[in-house]
Amino acid sequence: MRDPATPHGTIGQPSDYLHARYTLRSWFFTTDHKRIGLLYLASITAFFVLGAIAAGLIRLCLVVPNGQIFTNDTYNKLFTMHGVIMVWFFLIPSIPSTFGNFLLPLMIGAKDVAFPRLNLLSWYVFMTGALFTMITLILGGVDTGWTFYAPFSTTYSNTYVIPALLGVIVVGFSSILTGLNFVVTVHKMRCPGMTWFRMPIFIWTLYATSLIFLLGTPVITLALILLVMERAFHIGVFDPRLGGDPVLFEHLFWFYSHPAVYIMVLPGMGVITELVAAFAQKRVFGYKFVAYASIGLASITFLVWGHHMFVNGQSQLASTVFSFLSFAVAVPSAVKVYNWTATIHKGNIRLDTPMLYAMGYIGLFVLGGLTGLFLATLAVDAHLHDTYFVVAHFHYIMVGGTMLAFLGGLHYWWPKFTGRMYPEAFGRVGAFLIFIGFNVTFFPQFILGYLGMPRRYHVYPPEFQLLNILSSAGSTILAVGYFFPMIYLIWSLWFGKRAPANPWQARGLEWTTSSPPPPHNFAVTPRVDFEPYDYAIKAREVG
Amino acid sequence: MIAEPVGIELVGHFATVSQQREAAKLGLWAWLVTELLLFAGLFLCALIIRIQHPAAVTLAATHLKFWIGAANTAVLICSSFTMSGAIALSRIGWRAGMLRFMLATAGLGTLFLGLKGFEYYQDYVEHMVPFLAGPYVLARDQATRLFVDVYFITTALHGVHLITGVSILLVLTWQASRPHFLARHQNRIEVYGLYWHFIDLIWIIVFPVLYVLNR
Amino acid sequence: MTRTDWAMLRRVLRVPCITLVALVALLAINVALGATLPFRNVWIVEAGVAACMVAIVLLVSMDLLDETPLIRLFSSIGFFWLLIMFGMILTDYLYR
Repeated sequence: MRDPATPHGTIGQPSDYLHARYTLRSWFFTTDHKRIGLLYLASITAFFVLGAIAAGLIRLCLVVPNGQIFTNDTYNKLFTMHGVIMVWFFLIPSIPSTFGNFLLPLMIGAKDVAFPRLNLLSWYVFMTGALFTMITLILGGVDTGWTFYAPFSTTYSNTYVIPALLGVIVVGFSSILTGLNFVVTVHKMRCPGMTWFRMPIFIWTLYATSLIFLLGTPVITLALILLVMERAFHIGVFDPRLGGDPVLFEHLFWFYSHPAVYIMVLPGMGVITELVAAFAQKRVFGYKFVAYASIGLASITFLVWGHHMFVNGQSQLASTVFSFLSFAVAVPSAVKVYNWTATIHKGNIRLDTPMLYAMGYIGLFVLGGLTGLFLATLAVDAHLHDTYFVVAHFHYIMVGGTMLAFLGGLHYWWPKFTGRMYPEAFGRVGAFLIFIGFNVTFFPQFILGYLGMPRRYHVYPPEFQLLNILSSAGSTILAVGYFFPMIYLIWSLWFGKRAPANPWQARGLEWTTSSPPPPHNFAVTPRVDFEPYDYAIKAREVG
Repeated sequence: MIAEPVGIELVGHFATVSQQREAAKLGLWAWLVTELLLFAGLFLCALIIRIQHPAAVTLAATHLKFWIGAANTAVLICSSFTMSGAIALSRIGWRAGMLRFMLATAGLGTLFLGLKGFEYYQDYVEHMVPFLAGPYVLARDQATRLFVDVYFITTALHGVHLITGVSILLVLTWQASRPHFLARHQNRIEVYGLYWHFIDLIWIIVFPVLYVLNR
Repeated sequence: MTRTDWAMLRRVLRVPCITLVALVALLAINVALGATLPFRNVWIVEAGVAACMVAIVLLVSMDLLDETPLIRLFSSIGFFWLLIMFGMILTDYLYR
């Protein structure tokens, strides 16, 4: 069960999972992990568009320094909704719930995840929470920032804080169910011969991400419940007037929310590993290091949350410890970057769209990661905290990193999901537009932050206007860049070239079954007796 | 007694029964990890409040209903015993005895909820409810509110889990009363039993942390 | 219920019974200590007794003594993560 399935005629053959049944019922009551992955894909794309509109309005407002375009209340609501939607309804579910759901069983040779009905439930829970939060937007919005800091969120804000919190709490359960499903699937559902060290790196990163889902999400669930209690009943735990401590909320909030950014980053790293190996046609350099680094990241990430709170009143000792550990957490990330580079080195490189995204990722992730170290340095952070430097840092990771990984993976696995190829020329144009638009948007923000422009303010000193206009102009290029794949990918569903089982000559079990796969993934349960990424090392072809 | 056949019916996407059984058990333990971390945040709050307001916390703790809490702990420990009995009998196929133990467990869980409700009522009558409008008996030390509020949230959250637990248990008991249940789904009793023991475990931590340690 | 039935019942309920007695006994100790408060730092003993009760429930009632290493790992991960959370937050609150 090693070679790609030979193409066969369609008469008398069993349907693939997309065409087996067409009814609405067969989609909304499916327990097929592949269909659930697509349900998530549609949902998160819709939420992405909403979050991007909010971002566009923010950049519009910041074109002028005196805040004439929107009132400060409206501006606060815009950046809150942008953060809430992008973090919880797009980035966190993006790669795990779409690619993870679709590919995890395929990559380990299983028929489905361990608990298929729980999988469907996680999507419904996600939609319930997310739609509930969207209702608060229609009703009038929230203005606390996605971080919901007390005492503003508990005492002084006059917006729909409690409904927004309830929506996020519900979405958290969706994460937990997905993480639980993945963990059990990886432990128990691997096909014969698929040992831990024969699994693709993407599975290692999904597993590490799932551990974070399980260990972090309950803590923020509780933090937000306490916030609801504080706002509704004035229980006092976060209220200094009653003897409580607002910093306690921040500890509970960031205990999850820092690992949450690794939920957003780790699966992207897994995708990049797959892309780099496939488009350099070469084994992953230092496979075991990369695998262990994934688990290492998921562990150390729980030890660094206080770096969000250096200037908020925690003890000097705590700040020092968190700063030191934040430097330590950069090490596994760096290991991965070196391994990707070594994998590409002397490989047989093809610069197709997924590889363009992967290379963009590596560069932008390095920039984002290094600027994180600036912020981890106590004395520097005192100056940079709550400025645009922080905003630029995390957008380099989230957009320059995770978003590019998402788009790269989407293009790479599009043939597998849909059975169609996307148009390569448009793919490349889209990738370039996104790369250029992204850098024009966010690089000026490093400078703005260094010069002292605070974040979450809808007014700023006039001398910063040029850089702000530059950033807003970049965001229009970025928006055009995002439109490209939305249009041509949908176009390809009807008019794209039909895809073979393995259009990229990649290794991995998902490429041994048809594009799209049959409902139960494999005609015969695979038996694995080969190492991962066993590309033949070919001499570089000349010309 | 009549020994029924005991086993598990294989579901499509699993290869073997043992894989299915192990997956269910691992899944539940993964869920219990999340539950532990959920309550842990509340224990942390209690600890931080203690560090910042030691005298207030001692004052508040002495006004909690120590003996009702102690009785409730005993009730849950007994319910753990009956749940273990149900599991043991499910393994040997003794359906009638297993059902009796399951109903006893549900009964003890309901008794806990009744005592808890009575305790809340006593708290209300004695003006130990700072989060509601109205007089508060310990108003001379406002910091006591923090601990009392944490007590209410923790015990209420535990109560919600217990209500859920008893409801699921009753449904499970009804399912298990049908013929052939033990032959097809015996591991459901075991997996559910883990959840019940965990509810007991959380209370075994809650009782000392709130009622005992701070006196 | 025949004699063999009773014998079987006693056999399968032996461990749960011992567990019940042990837990109730430990509870009684904690209740006595909490009610009488014999010495200043009695909370340390009370915490230790509670920890014993937790251990008994985990190892015996929840079968961890007989379980696979994987399940035992998952059962201990939660407590280990609590140590991380508590320990690191205490570096703040104990040293302000």
